[in-house]
Amino acid sequence: MSTTSPTDATSASLATAKERSAARRMWAVASSYTQFRIGLTIFVILAIVTIVWPLLSSASATKLMIADRAMPPIFLGGRWDHILGTDQLGRDLLLRSLIGLQNSIAIALAAVILMFVIGSVIGMIAGFFGGWLDIILMRLTDAQLSIPLIILAITILTVSRPTPAGVILVLALSGWPTYSRVTRSITLSERRKEYVRGAQILGASSFRIMLLMAQLILPPIAFVAVLDVARMMIYEAILGFIGIGVQPPIPSFGNVMADGRKYLINAWWIATMPGVLLFTSLLSINLMGASLERARNRLYKGTI
Amino acid sequence: MTAATPVLDVRHLSVDVIRGGDIRPVLTDVSFTLGERQILGVVGESGSGKSVLARAVMGSVIAPLRHRSGSVFYRGSDLLTLPPQGIHEVRGRKIGYIAADPGNSFDPTLPVGQQLVEKLRAVQPRCSHSAAVDQVLSLLESVHIPSARMRFHEFPFQYSGGMLQRAMIVDALLAEPDVVIADNITQSLDVTIAAQVVRLLRELRDRFRSAILYIANSLPVACEIADEIAVLSGGRLVEQEPSDILIRQPRAEYTKRLVQSIPRIWEVREPPRDLASDARPILTVRGVHKTYFVNDRSRLFHRQAVRAVQGVQFEIFPKENFGLVGESGCGKSTLSRLLSWIETPDRGTILFEGADIKSMSGRQRLAMRRRFQLLLQDPFAAIPPHVPIGRTIEEPLRIHYTLGRSVRQNLVLDVMREVGLSVADYERLPVGLSAGQRQRVNIARALILQPKLLILDETLSSLDQAEQGRLLELFDQLQHQYGLTYVFISHDLSLVRKVCTRVAVMYLGKIVELGANPTIFFQPNHPYTRAMLSAVPTLEAKPFNSAECLLEGEPPSPINLPIGCGFAPRCPVAVRRCSERTPELQSVAGGTAAACLVAQHGGSIGDAVYAATRHR
Repeated sequence: MSTTSPTDATSASLATAKERSAARRMWAVASSYTQFRIGLTIFVILAIVTIVWPLLSSASATKLMIADRAMPPIFLGGRWDHILGTDQLGRDLLLRSLIGLQNSIAIALAAVILMFVIGSVIGMIAGFFGGWLDIILMRLTDAQLSIPLIILAITILTVSRPTPAGVILVLALSGWPTYSRVTRSITLSERRKEYVRGAQILGASSFRIMLLMAQLILPPIAFVAVLDVARMMIYEAILGFIGIGVQPPIPSFGNVMADGRKYLINAWWIATMPGVLLFTSLLSINLMGASLERARNRLYKGTI
Repeated sequence: MTAATPVLDVRHLSVDVIRGGDIRPVLTDVSFTLGERQILGVVGESGSGKSVLARAVMGSVIAPLRHRSGSVFYRGSDLLTLPPQGIHEVRGRKIGYIAADPGNSFDPTLPVGQQLVEKLRAVQPRCSHSAAVDQVLSLLESVHIPSARMRFHEFPFQYSGGMLQRAMIVDALLAEPDVVIADNITQSLDVTIAAQVVRLLRELRDRFRSAILYIANSLPVACEIADEIAVLSGGRLVEQEPSDILIRQPRAEYTKRLVQSIPRIWEVREPPRDLASDARPILTVRGVHKTYFVNDRSRLFHRQAVRAVQGVQFEIFPKENFGLVGESGCGKSTLSRLLSWIETPDRGTILFEGADIKSMSGRQRLAMRRRFQLLLQDPFAAIPPHVPIGRTIEEPLRIHYTLGRSVRQNLVLDVMREVGLSVADYERLPVGLSAGQRQRVNIARALILQPKLLILDETLSSLDQAEQGRLLELFDQLQHQYGLTYVFISHDLSLVRKVCTRVAVMYLGKIVELGANPTIFFQPNHPYTRAMLSAVPTLEAKPFNSAECLLEGEPPSPINLPIGCGFAPRCPVAVRRCSERTPELQSVAGGTAAACLVAQHGGSIGDAVYAATRHR
């Protein structure tokens, strides 16, 4: 694996003879890893296919074609116009999976971003200021943690209508306490460090110091958050499976799989194909996340 | 005392270290002898092979170390070829070892006494439990641990550093060894405590008739105790001489440089230039108190008051170098935090350029911070580890001004050049930088706001002599250029002697003496100042003898402060009045201001010490 040496001055501007910025060095190293490239390739292909195929395809994701129902994928002797076969109502599975992937990723990403932001802001405030604020925020966190996801989802999504926004809200609500706890505990130990005091001496405001600390505290948590995108996609599928997720006829991973469950013996691909796509997309995200994390560790170790 | 048959005879010892496929020599052809009851000091900088030598003398050359050639004879038997059984007979029984880090050498979960009894019964299995307890108690008393019977049942965390080091010495002495190896044992201790430990070792040598191999990385410390000094450099023994000869006429090139690099305190020289004009003081501190409350471990819901700073009062004038010295725990760092207003005093006022910091508005205080900076102690912790250093240095500009990006960058590059940082390091993270480089980043960050007053909290004490010298030069040059005022907070007396115009001595949260540099060092009026000066390890003849100036005992805990003078329990000249009344800082006849009742009553401390020692 290639490394960039500090004396590699080709890209540094001659006026100041500086090195490239730390973030750029990190990206350069991360993108030199094979696993990052594999992950990126899969991700880009998936993204392009997801966006382009529904536009090009003549098939419809929602129109029923009972005559073509439960058609196998082409590697099991199916037809080219339904590459991954069709479901029990004759709808094209590839198209349904791709649109499901779009919906699932959008929902999971939104939920993770929301829970990450809420959790880390609350955690940092609680850890940094301490005292009563800490007690109140952390008891709030405990209260939230004590409500199981499914109960919360059933309560919220059956009282209101199960819209994508509702699903995002439920997932984010159930996820943020973990983030706030972890962030708080790291903040607590970081804020006693000497560099925080150094910033105070310089006259930095609490907000500025928190920003400074955030640069150190949040990246490892963000790495976990990337893994959480996968978890949220699974939860979204679970909600879809029990019927309070995204509602038919809009396909999502959850309801495609829920439908396919009934035909597992005769047409196993209906439930499996979305799963394969789910697996591939998560794999690509994790490969990239892991490479970034490794590059970041090397940056802080001083080897790049 | 080099008797005919040495206890320990090291001949042509060479040891390698194997790391990966690499074989590197650590010790090369080291030979020396240690006679009965002799104290041999081994001096060398870190990485010179001192610790490996100590291990080899214990007969323990194990991976990644490899014995290449030579031998270590203990009373005629070669420890390096002895079977494991034989080594077992010698190690810990005939050759005792005092570790450098007493805090990690005891099991934190068992009382100290119990651990010592266990050790004793391991080396003398026939000793009964009660006899072992008695022997441990008498040894604890012989190393001057006060109320040994009570201390016996206490846990390591209840001991102070100096006390734990004494317990460690007892641990080595339990088996009544012929040879004791002391591995850098005073490094982590304060000067007065270290001086007491050194005195104790000499005493014990006479009582227990052991020879001592005293390993140290500082030459003055070794000279304080050893009869003879061996100098290690790069794994070779470059010179071995009696201590006084080594200091006066070093032969080897390395030793010459070593002796020369050690600063002299009592050399008469030109005092540091006093640029201070008799203008208004830049910083005025009046009666500042700070008390911390900690939970009482012994009682539930009770809190104890730690009086960290009690009624400190002084003034600092523009362009002067003010020194604040004292041992650890005396309140120096608390005071520095109060001065820079990241903590607020409970009582008292601090005026910066005539304005009370307390009554300033947020905006005024921010403006004050531009003119008043504090450099923190630890260069490794004080700068954020995850931010490129250019960005770190730029931070104050972002806090205080709204400037364009290129303006900021140019200012940063200017200040980096000024403090001697390479411009190419702009985008580097602090991770690979040396302590000196990091301290430069720290300095650059403070200087970019062009302050008037700079407080240096032990800023230079973690650096080696050469780097220290370079930074002092830089400070001097900046002072001339920008008219800076420095406050040096330090325990390093030679540094303070070299640069400060006025010196304040702190003890237990109070300033006990305040005066001009030469007066403090040559005619101190407070007995604590004398005790501290007598305890500094130096190569020169000291005007103060530590036997006269320093009694046993450690600073009392700031939790249970004695009434009256805080130094009275350790003071050789204390009279009854001292434990009844608390002395205030007042000018005394000797030309300094001292908080000492004896000195204030016109008594010369020198005479009083003389009388007191005669009386004893």
